[in-house]
Amino acid sequence: MFTFIEMEFLKLKRSKIFLLSLMGAILPPLLMFIAVTSFDEGQTFEALFTNVNMYMSAMFAVLIFTIIISYLFGREYNEHTLKTMLTIPISRAKFLVSKYIMFLVWIVILTVVTSMSTLIFGFAAGLDGFSVNLFAKSFAQLLYANVLLFLTFSPFVFISLFITNMVPAMVGGAGLSLVNLLVYGQNWAPFVPWVCPYLIASGEIAEYSTSITVSYGIILATFVIGLVISYIYFTKTDVAL
Amino acid sequence: MADYVIETNNLSKIYSKNKVVNSVNMHVEKGKIYGLLGKNGAGKTTTMCMLLNLTYPSSGDIFLFGKDPKRHSDEIYSNIGSIIETPGFYENLTAYENLKIISKIRGDFNPYNVNAVLQMVNLDNEKSKKYKDFSLGMKQRLGIAAAIMHSPELLILDEPINGLDPFGIKEIRALLKRLSHEFGITILISSHILSEIENIADVIGFMDEGVLIEEISREELYNKLEKHVEFEVSDIDLALNIFKELELKENKDFTCNKENGTICLYTHLSMRDKFNALFVKAGIDVKKVNLCEENLEEFFTRFVSNN
Repeated sequence: MFTFIEMEFLKLKRSKIFLLSLMGAILPPLLMFIAVTSFDEGQTFEALFTNVNMYMSAMFAVLIFTIIISYLFGREYNEHTLKTMLTIPISRAKFLVSKYIMFLVWIVILTVVTSMSTLIFGFAAGLDGFSVNLFAKSFAQLLYANVLLFLTFSPFVFISLFITNMVPAMVGGAGLSLVNLLVYGQNWAPFVPWVCPYLIASGEIAEYSTSITVSYGIILATFVIGLVISYIYFTKTDVAL
Repeated sequence: MADYVIETNNLSKIYSKNKVVNSVNMHVEKGKIYGLLGKNGAGKTTTMCMLLNLTYPSSGDIFLFGKDPKRHSDEIYSNIGSIIETPGFYENLTAYENLKIISKIRGDFNPYNVNAVLQMVNLDNEKSKKYKDFSLGMKQRLGIAAAIMHSPELLILDEPINGLDPFGIKEIRALLKRLSHEFGITILISSHILSEIENIADVIGFMDEGVLIEEISREELYNKLEKHVEFEVSDIDLALNIFKELELKENKDFTCNKENGTICLYTHLSMRDKFNALFVKAGIDVKKVNLCEENLEEFFTRFVSNN
C-alpha cells in the first residue's frame, strides 16, 4: 500500500490541482489575517485559530474536498489511465482503497498547511496569547474535524466514479458549502453529515440537544453507505475507455 | 492438441439488448501473431476488453494460458501487456515517470529496464518530455513500451499503429515480429487496416457484427484468395470463339469486357500458356497476360458479404 501512496504522490507532480488545494488551505488564514489587521485590532491567537478552524472545516474544506475527490478519481477516467492501472494488474478494491487513503493523506497535508499558515499569519499580525499548547489543541481540533469530514465524503467517491467530470463536483461543492453556511447554528445542524464534524471537533455540539452519538452515527453511516455503493459500482461496472 | 494462450467459449457481450460480441470462440496459439480483423464496431475492442477483465462478459468463458482468469487473476494478468484504443498516461508526467509508476506498482521497477524499453521504441531522447506534449505517434509508442516493459508472454494490442507515420508503422511492425519470433511472445493484434494484419499475422480472425466468422492461417488465406488470368487481346470475338470451342463457359469459366478488350479466366489457370499460344496461332495480338490475385480487402468484402 505504501507504493500505491508513493505513486499517487508522483501522479501529483506538476499538478496544478495540488498547488491550488494548498493555496485553498492557506486562504482562510489569509482572509482572517486581513480581517484581523484591517478591522479587528487586539485579536488573540485563540480567536484566530477558532475562526480559521470554523471557516475551514465548516465551509471551505467542503469545497476543496469535493474538488480533490473528483480529481483523484475523475482524472483516471479523463486521462484514460484507469485501463492502464487495472491491467497492470491492480485489483479494483485495492485501487479504490488506495484512493481513499490518498484522499486522507491529502487532507492531513492541507490541515498541516492551514495550521502552519495560521501560525505564521498570527505572528505576522502581532497577535497575543500564543502558546504551544494552544497551537497543538487547535491543530488537533482541525485535524479531527477534517478526518470526520473525510468520512462524510465517501458518497462523493461514488459521484466522482459516476460523473467523472470535475465541473459538477465544483458546483456541488460550492452548493454544499452554502448549505453548511445556512444550516450552521440551526437546531438540526448535528444531523447534517457535513456540518457535524466541526460541531463535534470544536465541542459546539454540547450546545445542541442532540446526542453526540447520533452525529457520530450519521457520519459513520454516510461513510459506510458511500463506501459500499462506490465499491459495488466500481467493481461491477465495465471500465469506460 | 494445440497449446492455446487465449481460448474463449461462446463469449458474448450484450449492451441493452444489443449483442456487440456474439458467441465468439477464439483460439490463439502460443507464439503466434493473431490478427483480429474487422470493421469499426465489429466487436474487436469489446472482445479484447473482456479478455483483459476491463469489461465483464454477459456469457461465455475465457481461458488465458489455459487457466480461468477469475481464479488466477494476478498470475495471468501480470503476464500480459496491452494497449486498448488510445494509451492512457498521466499528462503532467514524463514518459519515464509514467513507466516508473506502472513498474513500481507492478513491483518490478528497474531504471535500466525503463530506459531500455524507451530506447526500443525510439523514445529515449524524449523521456523527459511531458506526455501531454507528445504527438499521437509518440503516445502510441509509449503505450507499446508500457505493454512490453515487463517482458510479458502475451500482448493484447488494439489498433496499436493508429496515429503512427509510415516509418513508425514499419518500426513497430518489425518490433512486434521480433518479439514474436525471437522471444516467443504471443500477440493478439486488432486492426481494421487489412494490409497491416496481412503483413504481420500468422493467423487471422475475421470479425463482423460481433461474430468471429472464421479463424484462418495466412497460408490458408492465400489459398482461399480468388485468382484469375486477365488477357488483353486485339480481337476479343475471335478469342471468345476459341474459348467456346474449348467448351469454356462464359460467366462461369470466364468473363469478358468488350470495351477494353479483356477476358478474365477463372478456371484452368494452369493452361494459360496454352491459351496464349492458341490466340497467337489464330493471329490474335495478345497485349497482356496477367495472373491476378484477389487482395485481402477484396477477400474480406466478399467473405463478410457471403457470411
